[in-house]
Amino acid sequence: MDGLTWGEVFDFFGFAIAATLIAGIVCPLVGTFLLVRRTGFYGIALPQFAATGVAFGFAILPWWQETIGLGIESSDLAAGEHIGLNYHLFWASLFTFGALAALLLGRGRGTETARVAAGFAVASALTILFAHSSPVGDVFVHELLRGEILAIGLHEFDTLAVVLGVVLLAVVVAHRDLVLVSYDRESAVVLGKRVWAWELLLQVITGASIATGVMTVGPVLLFGLLVIPPFAARSLARSMTGLFVLASALGVLAALGGLAISFELDWPLGPAVVLAGALLLVPARVIGRLCKSH
Amino acid sequence: MSAAAGTEPLLRAEGACFGYGGKTVIAGVDLEVHPGELLGIVGPNGSGKTTLFRGLLGLIPPLAGRLRRSRAAVGYVPQREELDAVYPLTVQEIVHMGGYGRLEGWRRFWRAPGREERARVSRCLEAVGMAFAAKSPFAALSGGQRQRVLIARALMTEPRLLVLDEPTAGVDRVAAREVLELIGAMNRERGIAVLIVAHQLDQIRDFVPEVLLVMDGRVRRGPSQELLAPERLDDLYGVARPLVGG
Repeated sequence: MDGLTWGEVFDFFGFAIAATLIAGIVCPLVGTFLLVRRTGFYGIALPQFAATGVAFGFAILPWWQETIGLGIESSDLAAGEHIGLNYHLFWASLFTFGALAALLLGRGRGTETARVAAGFAVASALTILFAHSSPVGDVFVHELLRGEILAIGLHEFDTLAVVLGVVLLAVVVAHRDLVLVSYDRESAVVLGKRVWAWELLLQVITGASIATGVMTVGPVLLFGLLVIPPFAARSLARSMTGLFVLASALGVLAALGGLAISFELDWPLGPAVVLAGALLLVPARVIGRLCKSH
Repeated sequence: MSAAAGTEPLLRAEGACFGYGGKTVIAGVDLEVHPGELLGIVGPNGSGKTTLFRGLLGLIPPLAGRLRRSRAAVGYVPQREELDAVYPLTVQEIVHMGGYGRLEGWRRFWRAPGREERARVSRCLEAVGMAFAAKSPFAALSGGQRQRVLIARALMTEPRLLVLDEPTAGVDRVAAREVLELIGAMNRERGIAVLIVAHQLDQIRDFVPEVLLVMDGRVRRGPSQELLAPERLDDLYGVARPLVGG
């Protein structure tokens, strides 16, 4: 970063750095469930739906202000004030959980990949169209999609830290039950598990992480952290516990690498983290193959 | 092994009907499974074996009639092909899953295996001769070995009834015989009742004294040597197929 020491970088962009690291720890854990349940493509589609929700919120903002009000001003949204962030989060969550419910209800009908791909295409187009129809939203959504997260404020950081903190706690405490119901649903039923409740918890964890993540660190960074670290870790892991630990560790490595790349080359942070994660894939595959052959 | 007279049945179905989406596949199921019994479930492809099996396990509710299971633990061994190899689970992790239903207090939510739990996992693996593979990836084992590990997982529930879904499917004959010998030993030495869905009719005929023959939406119970006699199979299955049935 031009003319700034690393100390100054931490002073100015502390929230963005901390948010990236928290996302680096937690998002790969959620992504691990997407990977082993063979729904990794949800990690691409759902953040896009969340972004569509944000853009939709901007598109209907004039009507919202006129009809409902609730004290929302355009400046709140642009400045990332509490009420503005909550408004964004509402729409991001609504679209994420709506898409998640639609995808899950349609599972097992044989065309899941095509439906997710079609949904992604439509969501991408709608995001641009909704943003285009709102002068305030166009700039904001463009920055969101580019992965410009350096201007994260205290409230955005707090929101992300609380939501991902709860998600982390839930995964640490419940990961074995979540693995059981994902891996062998029938045995879980025979063992007396309330499978629907564990499934619901998993979907809430996924939806909450994605909706909050999109609003704070952006969809690009989320794509990368949900999908790439678990995929790289799968090559190295020799146990399920190991897969979770490695995915999270590689997520942190990708976040740190992305931060370094972003500040050194003055690149947007989101894509830089994804690039750093992608660079980890090759050594992970090589080491994984070497370990297997020995 | 005959039914233990006077004992409370582990499983009792009275006029039970099972099916999907309100449509009956198997009707009028009346049966009892007592402690120490060894029963096979056989029938042609599409006869409703799996529906009956899932119904008796409580995976689908009865559409009519009654199904009662004693509170005694049921150990379930699914078909291993249904378990996805993308999960990098070790043998230990798989077996530990069998104990999730038994844990109480704070361990219900935090399932890190304690010393006692690890010892139980070791004992169950020793019982099936797989202690040497405790840290191995489950997906790297042979078919017969994976079946033994799944039986070890079922033993973690300290079952009085062991329910197995085609445990010898896709396993070579030697390994299949070893798996059946292991199941037989569990039945004889621990008094565990066994309900086994079978595919290899020649193997099951010699292994279980009684079978539930599922055909035409009905269940018939009788001695295996009689119901699965080679000369009767052509009539039962409608084609000449003396050894292997679906």
